[in-house]
Amino acid sequence: MNKGNSIKNFLISKKDYLYILPAVILITAFFISSIVFTIYLSFYSWDGFSDKVFVGFENYKKLFTDSNFQISVMNTCLWVVLSLVISLILPLFFAILIVNSTRSSLFKNIFYFPSTLSSTVGGLIMTALLSMYGIPQVFGLLGYDSLVKDWLSIPYVNTIVMIFMGTWQGIGMNMLLFIAGLRNLDRSPIESAQIDGASKMTLFRKVILPALKPTTIVVVLMSLVNNFKVFDNIWVMTKGGPYRSSETLALTMYTETFVRNNYGGGAAVAVILTLVIIIVSYFNLKNTFKSNEG
Amino acid sequence: MKETLMIKLDKKGQILVDTILSIFGLIWMLPVIFSFIGSMKEKQEYNLTFLWDLPKQINWIENIKYIHEYSNVYQSIGNSLFYSLCGAVGSAFFALLAAYGLTTLKIKHRMFWFMVIYSGTIFPLQLYLIPVFKAYQKLGLYDTRLGLIIFYIAICIPFSMFVLRNFFLGISRDLVEAAKIDGASDFSILWRIFVPMSKAPLSVVFMTQFAWCYNELMFGITFVKSNDIKPVMATISTFTGNKPAMLVACAITSIPTIILYLLLNKNFNYGIVYQSK
Repeated sequence: MNKGNSIKNFLISKKDYLYILPAVILITAFFISSIVFTIYLSFYSWDGFSDKVFVGFENYKKLFTDSNFQISVMNTCLWVVLSLVISLILPLFFAILIVNSTRSSLFKNIFYFPSTLSSTVGGLIMTALLSMYGIPQVFGLLGYDSLVKDWLSIPYVNTIVMIFMGTWQGIGMNMLLFIAGLRNLDRSPIESAQIDGASKMTLFRKVILPALKPTTIVVVLMSLVNNFKVFDNIWVMTKGGPYRSSETLALTMYTETFVRNNYGGGAAVAVILTLVIIIVSYFNLKNTFKSNEG
Repeated sequence: MKETLMIKLDKKGQILVDTILSIFGLIWMLPVIFSFIGSMKEKQEYNLTFLWDLPKQINWIENIKYIHEYSNVYQSIGNSLFYSLCGAVGSAFFALLAAYGLTTLKIKHRMFWFMVIYSGTIFPLQLYLIPVFKAYQKLGLYDTRLGLIIFYIAICIPFSMFVLRNFFLGISRDLVEAAKIDGASDFSILWRIFVPMSKAPLSVVFMTQFAWCYNELMFGITFVKSNDIKPVMATISTFTGNKPAMLVACAITSIPTIILYLLLNKNFNYGIVYQSK
């Protein structure tokens, strides 16, 4: 009797936990357990069907001697670095012009519009633009006949082309963040600097840019994390080919696992990608909570 | 607050700014313009004419028919709308419960539980591919609508919970106390007080997560094999051959997310701050 009561009391005292239970169960079942399983799998050799064989760090060792993986790492770095530079400079440039324009909402919508499309659709549109009678022909008409070919099928060139094509969709969010940052700037230092006769360039370098630092940090960290994970664009435009020359880590993980049935190797790539992203995310999270907790 | 100019520009400066923006704006619209022109062409015509050559006729009707006959795009759009609706509503519901629990109810180690739920957004999604794929094969959820829906619900929870929790933290505790004295249960406080107050964050959560599910490609191509239940991005990513028809399919596919953007534009200042997943 007494015992039954205490169980009942215990349940009543814990009923508040029922509210977080569904979310916690789903997250644990899908994500937390997946993380553990993927790490576990990265130490096994597995084709997805037969028995797993423990191989220790063999999967990782193989990766680092695999030239495809090295290319993939190079491509990923290229994506991250180039996209970071582009997605910092262009959006900032547009944002500054837009807040000073008489038609700011029109231009804002024009530059943001591509970001409302999915990256799959964006990739398909870009593929259509890059077909033989598309963008390459512009160079043909200008006299550079050697440039008239399918850019996406030239190893290493295709990655660069995709990065530049990616900026069409990639700058929207960053531009909005910069516009918001600029609109929220404290006006008095800007006005007093203008009264003091500072030139627009000095004003920009000495007053506006330093004041935009918090927004810039958010943009940098977000771009870093997102560009490490880029998948959809590449999948649609080249599938990582030809000869796996345009793969990034996200694609290598997918191909190793689901195309080549090397589940252990795929898991190892996922773990490496995760480690890199966690390091970047650490700064991102620190920054997020600094601004949101208050 | 609207349209405040940053730096006082003279007339010349103003014209310069607008001119530069117009040039870049035109560049940014070129892919849209070319897609528009291209979508009117015939397959042969597209392959043999320059991108900027105007079409001889408007071939939209034929292209729309072609999509119907040779692909599953229309059915997939229906599928995706359904999956995204379930994903966004389901995750919003569980996120509401969790956010309410974490901000208002007696739960120990709130920060720990918050981090457990939030952890879903920190790691790259590639980490979840193999385990969920294999588990789905074992449980019979592979290649089913249900499997994809549950996954979308789960993956949208962390972000939704994060936004709602932030909003709930701002709701006065006095309100909760007063309702409790009047004899309201926890659930009715959530349903009758918190939910009506959270229309703005709820709509932002709903719209962003709907758009995320709708635009998602990687899990769609991995967890589903049958053509009739594939989500739209998985279907359209394999659309090759007829480029004009493909461009028409792209346009039709994008209608839902463009409408969402227009709707979201109103709540935008709230929305943009948290869009990454």
